[in-house]
Amino acid sequence: MKTVSSSIGAILLAGTFLSGTPAAWADSRDDEIRQLRDQIQQLDQKLRVLERKQEIRDEEAASKANAAVKVSASDKGFTLASGDAANSLRLRALLQADSRWFFGDHVSNNDAFLLRRARLIFEGGFNKIYEYQLVPEFGGTSGNGTLTLLDANINVALKPGLQIRFGRFREPVGLEQLQSDSVAFFAERSIVSQFVPNRDVGVQVAGNVLNGTLSYAVGVFNGVADGANNANNSDTNDDKDVAARLFSHPFKNTEGALSGLGIGIAGSVGHQGSGAGATPALTSGYRTDAQQTWFSYRSTTVAAGGTWRLSPQAYYYYGPLGVMGEYVISSVEAANGTNRRTVRNKAWQLSAGYVLTGEDSGYKGVTPKSNFSLESGTWGAFEIVGRIGQGKIGDDAFAGGSLSLANPNAAAKKVSTYGVGLNWYLSRAVRASADVFHADFDYAAGAAPVRTSVIADDENALVTRLQLLF
Amino acid sequence: MKILTLLLTILAFAGLASAKEVQLLNVSYDPTRELYVDFNAAFAKYWQAKTGDAVTVKQSHGGSGKQARAVIDGLPADVVTLALAADVDALSTFGKLIPADWQKRLPDNSAPYTSTIVFLVRKGNPKGVHNWDDLVRPGVSVITPNPKTSGGARWNYLAAWGYALRKYGGEPKAKDFVAKLFKNVPVLDSGARGATTTFVQRGIGDVAISWENEAFLAVNEFGADKFEIVVPSISILAEPTVAVVDKVVKKKGSEAVARAYLEYLYSDEGQDIAGRNFYRPRSAAAATKYASVFPKLELFTIDEVFGGWPKAQKTHFSDGGVFDQIYSGQGVAP
Repeated sequence: MKTVSSSIGAILLAGTFLSGTPAAWADSRDDEIRQLRDQIQQLDQKLRVLERKQEIRDEEAASKANAAVKVSASDKGFTLASGDAANSLRLRALLQADSRWFFGDHVSNNDAFLLRRARLIFEGGFNKIYEYQLVPEFGGTSGNGTLTLLDANINVALKPGLQIRFGRFREPVGLEQLQSDSVAFFAERSIVSQFVPNRDVGVQVAGNVLNGTLSYAVGVFNGVADGANNANNSDTNDDKDVAARLFSHPFKNTEGALSGLGIGIAGSVGHQGSGAGATPALTSGYRTDAQQTWFSYRSTTVAAGGTWRLSPQAYYYYGPLGVMGEYVISSVEAANGTNRRTVRNKAWQLSAGYVLTGEDSGYKGVTPKSNFSLESGTWGAFEIVGRIGQGKIGDDAFAGGSLSLANPNAAAKKVSTYGVGLNWYLSRAVRASADVFHADFDYAAGAAPVRTSVIADDENALVTRLQLLF
Repeated sequence: MKILTLLLTILAFAGLASAKEVQLLNVSYDPTRELYVDFNAAFAKYWQAKTGDAVTVKQSHGGSGKQARAVIDGLPADVVTLALAADVDALSTFGKLIPADWQKRLPDNSAPYTSTIVFLVRKGNPKGVHNWDDLVRPGVSVITPNPKTSGGARWNYLAAWGYALRKYGGEPKAKDFVAKLFKNVPVLDSGARGATTTFVQRGIGDVAISWENEAFLAVNEFGADKFEIVVPSISILAEPTVAVVDKVVKKKGSEAVARAYLEYLYSDEGQDIAGRNFYRPRSAAAATKYASVFPKLELFTIDEVFGGWPKAQKTHFSDGGVFDQIYSGQGVAP
């Protein structure tokens, strides 16, 4: 029975198949194609959905990564920053290992190796507008085991044109003084920087305006002597010094050869008369390029009144060439006992550098195109530098006989300085330099310097440095 | 010297006070990019002419809920222009950045323009999507963003809920309807712009539930030969709201310009810009001018159907709320 029904079924099926073959085949193919098309579309949609989900996951991961704390390390320092960069801490350092060698003099014990600067630099910001800087100094005079806090300030950066800085930082007067010492043409700043204030404690409003073509700064400070750092919050009276500076880059936004020109004027005014029980300071001494003191007041001489400084200044950078010039008049009222006088001291300097390997020179230094590497045969960048300068003490410093403000036998009236040097930028972080300095001295009338004093002979010196800055 | 010192100090802070370059940050939701590009330029011009001060407005966009969270977490927004009042409420409730009655400070409950929710489908409407019921049919792939992060998505969700409530009656049926709808959603973007990208540029889905303005933009930008807008029989009146962030503007000293910025949204020019960018203007003049642009459909408000945003937010979108129940019931974490 089973066999019969199967046979009948087979015959019916065959009949149906044979009788309707062309149309049925076509319908069947169409259905199959439709089904396949639908399946492909469904698979395509599934694939697209999977890809999109992965895309969304990637976007979310990227968003989370942006929000995560960022850590970076480079030859510009080590930085910890929040994902939105609003809060950050950057650790940098400056290390300068120097040597100084003097020739043809009679000064004892002045050839030496020294740790000129050894600083940790902590910088950063909060909420994008509050910036801070903390710079402890372990080297220099602090190398004796003491620690000096050089810079410690908070800057409220409201916008480029309006920034308010509080704390300890450089007074806005000297062009070269305001330049980081690690990027200056020479290992040591020029004579001019001895005649302007260095770091002081106060408040300053500053900013860049007119599309960055004009920068201004005006600040109120405790007041310091020429070349001095106010390292211990000292202030000898209730009066405050005011320092201000205008500096213009008139062609900054142009493409021409003058785009690197900057000219400005700066000055300060204050009063360093004696307060109750305080000892108003004068400069601890003006130093030569090789850092020997060629002028100082007598130890019994103190500041006793008004003080002011005026400094026209300019620089010019064009490709590998850099030129900087600065002039300063520094006036101070001083007294030694009953001898009270106003001394007007003046200095100027003109320096230039040329990067032999073609890199751009700049106020912020030179970045070599390649690092020194024996393996790859690259040498970094080389720069030759030259400088002339002069410092002149006002005649009143030597008047008054035994009560003169300065001892003419120990202090020169004028110094003329000359320097040439070679800088080798082994990398952005490492620089080696060798500078040759010459200084000759003029004396006050009747002066007879002691044979072993700095000013008895012309100064001829070699200053070398290996510097690490990141 | 003392007098000079004092004078300089006063001058320093006076300089601060008289700063003439003002910068505002407008933290907004996803699809308003084009609207505020236009509006910011107009406002800057108006403000400079009025006061002489230059004002720059920075824009930040993202899912409305995410944006509100960012402001609460410290993003210094002078103003927020978010997708819905609940997200602005969060600035008051969780951030204490604005007063609780912020919505009363500007006309129309601080919603200077409105919008609604429509459907964006592929040209020819191959799946025959005409109304909300079509979104729950098996085999119809629906694109909508995540209601937990997107204000637009919450409007989408509530529009569907309101429709189901009216048509089928009762919360359980509405919940079942919306659950079926989300079963057809293959991918959840965090914001409306992302959902548009998914539908328009990645070619996923048969229909995108979309802000009306976003749908118009998609059709204009990518071509009427590729997409078309389907207007359902009923939808929700979406009221994006704006507010000055008091705590930020007081700190920054930008309160006056921030207030003027939002008030300018209600001006003739502000309303015209809204209409031009496919937001339904409030003012009669602008509404008349752009009347032909916007399709007419029945709109219900959130107050009428859900008893206001605070209640809707708590019931549907809070952790463990109805949306979580629906979505986790499908085995997918939102």
